[in-house]
Amino acid sequence: MTTRASSSRKGGANRGAAIDTSDAIPLRYGDDPYVWACWLYYEDGMTQGEIADAMGVSRATVNSYLAEAREKGIVQISLEPARLASLTIAQELKRHFGLTDCLVVPSDDNARPLIDRLGVAAAQALPKLLKSGDTLAVAWGRTVLSVGEHADIASLQDMTVVQATGGTTATFSYTPELCAAAIAQSVSARCVNITAPAIVKSSAMREMLLDEPLLQEQFETLARANRVLFGISSLRPNSTIHTSGFFESVSLQHYLAAGAVGVVAGRFIDERGRPVAGPLDDRTIGISLDMLRRIETRILVAGGFDKVPALLAALRGGYANVLITDAATGHGILRADGVTGLDGRLSQKPRVTQAPSSYRTHVKKFLNNPNQVVEEMLDGVVRAHAGYLQPINGSNRALVARNGPRPGKVGLVIGGGTGHEPCFLGYVGKGLADAVAVGNIFSSPPPDPIVQCAAAASGGEGVLFVYGNYAGDVMNFEMAAEIAEEKGIKVRTVLTTDDIASSPVEDREGRRGVAGNFFIFKIAGAACDRGLPLEACEAVTRKANLRTYTVGVALEPCSMPQTRRHNFEIGPDDMEIGMGIHGEPGVTRERIKSSDEITDSIMDNIFKEMKAASGDRVAVLINSFGGTPMMELYILFRRVAQRLEAKNIRIEANWIGHYCTSLDMVGASISILHLDQELTELLHHPCETAFLRIS
Amino acid sequence: MQTFKNANAGAIVLSLAERIIENRAYLSEIDGKIGDGDHGVNMAKGFGMAADRLKDREATLSEALDTLGTVLMTEIGGSMGPLYGVMFTEFAEKLDGVAAIDAAAYSRMLHAGLEGIQSIGSAKVGDKTLIDTLVPAIEAFDGAISSGNSFSAALDALIAAAEAGRDSTRDLVAKIGRASRLGERSLGVLDAGATSCAIILKELSLGARSRLA
Repeated sequence: MTTRASSSRKGGANRGAAIDTSDAIPLRYGDDPYVWACWLYYEDGMTQGEIADAMGVSRATVNSYLAEAREKGIVQISLEPARLASLTIAQELKRHFGLTDCLVVPSDDNARPLIDRLGVAAAQALPKLLKSGDTLAVAWGRTVLSVGEHADIASLQDMTVVQATGGTTATFSYTPELCAAAIAQSVSARCVNITAPAIVKSSAMREMLLDEPLLQEQFETLARANRVLFGISSLRPNSTIHTSGFFESVSLQHYLAAGAVGVVAGRFIDERGRPVAGPLDDRTIGISLDMLRRIETRILVAGGFDKVPALLAALRGGYANVLITDAATGHGILRADGVTGLDGRLSQKPRVTQAPSSYRTHVKKFLNNPNQVVEEMLDGVVRAHAGYLQPINGSNRALVARNGPRPGKVGLVIGGGTGHEPCFLGYVGKGLADAVAVGNIFSSPPPDPIVQCAAAASGGEGVLFVYGNYAGDVMNFEMAAEIAEEKGIKVRTVLTTDDIASSPVEDREGRRGVAGNFFIFKIAGAACDRGLPLEACEAVTRKANLRTYTVGVALEPCSMPQTRRHNFEIGPDDMEIGMGIHGEPGVTRERIKSSDEITDSIMDNIFKEMKAASGDRVAVLINSFGGTPMMELYILFRRVAQRLEAKNIRIEANWIGHYCTSLDMVGASISILHLDQELTELLHHPCETAFLRIS
Repeated sequence: MQTFKNANAGAIVLSLAERIIENRAYLSEIDGKIGDGDHGVNMAKGFGMAADRLKDREATLSEALDTLGTVLMTEIGGSMGPLYGVMFTEFAEKLDGVAAIDAAAYSRMLHAGLEGIQSIGSAKVGDKTLIDTLVPAIEAFDGAISSGNSFSAALDALIAAAEAGRDSTRDLVAKIGRASRLGERSLGVLDAGATSCAIILKELSLGARSRLA
């Protein structure tokens, strides 16, 4: 195993000088600079700067020597086999069961009890899994108590720990109360106990207890839990479930006969993770399996070979998305689920790391769970913009304007994929869009939230759908329109097609909708707010779409949160004119030019289509794709204004900033709305949204 | 003549969902190479939701396909939701009321699914999409039947052609959808939709074959 010596080396420069002056130094390794650089770096612990001095080359050269030495296999970075095995098993468990996280404790010589080792591992993992302000539900068990005994996390604030089940007899040390208390103490949390027995004599008693205000309050806390920590019990004869006397043996026989293989928070599951019904179900007080599964972070800590069937069942049932176990158990779970090929990989020689240290493969982003970015963003959005919008029926995927919809007014529904913020939700509010349906990243919402939006936006005079012309959006919005019509809501649709670079003018209807959405939404919203009938709202929105012209230019690609890699590539000296907001192809890819030359080429394209006469008025939008700063947008605007001025076209209004983005794409688009009297009035009509306010 | 019963064959859809969920990470991984990297997650979500609704129900194959199609169509979004949604609801419609499904009914089902997809999408064979799996699979099935093979043998031919079709996308340049942005760079990578389509057709046909009587 090669290690990077960590002790600081004194007098490196002197020693380097000595090397330079004498062939007698044995460390030159002939003429191989790679070996020499590696030796100095890994064995002598010199910094790259010191090595550069010593070898008489630049620091960058040293860096490349070290990187290439790893590529050539001169340096091999290896991990201790036991640790590597546990890492391999953890990765495979994560992949196989779609877990968010998985920690596998290396198998050792069993010098310490497994429960202690799992407790220590979970205690170390908790700071990464918990955040200040969390409500953590805690089930009971020996392993859970061990976590509490080993954890001591001082960095968390405003934590609540809530007992996940009712209480039990205290004939053993790991009662629900003690487990919750131990975890609460270890994370400095307020502890909320469930002050009722976990199992009561009858379902009538359960109903009565659950009716008590105190228990209701405790269950409300439980319902707020966003993390849960639990163990699992097998149903083998020596498991805690038997020894604790928690369940009567009579009932246990029933569940065993019905195929139960494990118990999660007092609830029985079969080998596929399905709930097993039985006599205790309506006598049990505590978290239900459904409640458990809805919790965001579900941490299962368990190990031991007897627990393999129960763990497998819990994973198949989706009860856990974070698993902490040991290598032997993890390996057993994978084998039991038919994963082959793992043994081969485990016996392989440690892999050589190929990538040089300076080589970037991933883009940095502020992320927690890449699969949850949309939910987390929306949680932020509804908190930030509660004054303008609110969820429909509790779902953030369909948001309605506060004070937006009203009887007698045509409702305006917009929507599309995410990644374009503040599009589309930033334009929901009084005087603009009444509701927005929110999809996944660059992906249309399904019909259901769109229908919810239509119903919420409807004031009895019909609803106008306005969205960008993309295959997925069209399919889903059309289905939603049909469903809404069946519910008696009249729907008209305007597809936005302002991207003049996406298709020639003969195929105007095939064009994409991009940042010009901003103007088209604004006009539609104003028409609706003025109480125009549906047909008139549709007509003026179509007119706005026909008179909006956008061209975008991309300089650098965007990267998706799930892959953190660039979605496509643009050469180091290139730009692409006409690129769409998901990276769709543009008209030309060429070498990057000066800002004014780029602006001129865009404006030439726009002028070719926009038949503006001297004295006409326009609105201008300079929009960043996400990665281009305001400074450059103003430079673009400056030239747009010059070009318009030269044609004696007046800028009635302008907006400069992030209005319709493409994640972190570097680039910008220019949109021009060619105004007439009607459009001018509608443009100035008051509106109140998070990203556009006109009074 | 070989047939299988529509009644109680809804379990085929449950095993279909199991295969898709098992392949969640794999589908996302190949999608990540030339797409958004969310195909597996979205598919697993939709198929899992349908499976939850079908659990403990003795559904017919047509009922189960209808449930799956409806969930995909109404709750997944993007392009794959409507495309697979329409395929499965068309499958369901063609089998509805058919007590014993023979090769002719199976073929009608496949064709209806394909036509449904083509009515809302514009992809052709060679565009590096699920069409590259679906079209040759149907052709192989029909060809096997018309040259006198049994239903069972035709299902085997369908599976083989679906997998060959999926593999053909490795050598294709994406012409449609988001991957088309990559042009030549999409060469050498399987299309995620073609891959999930091969999983679906294989599991459906294996389920049918094992029930033949």
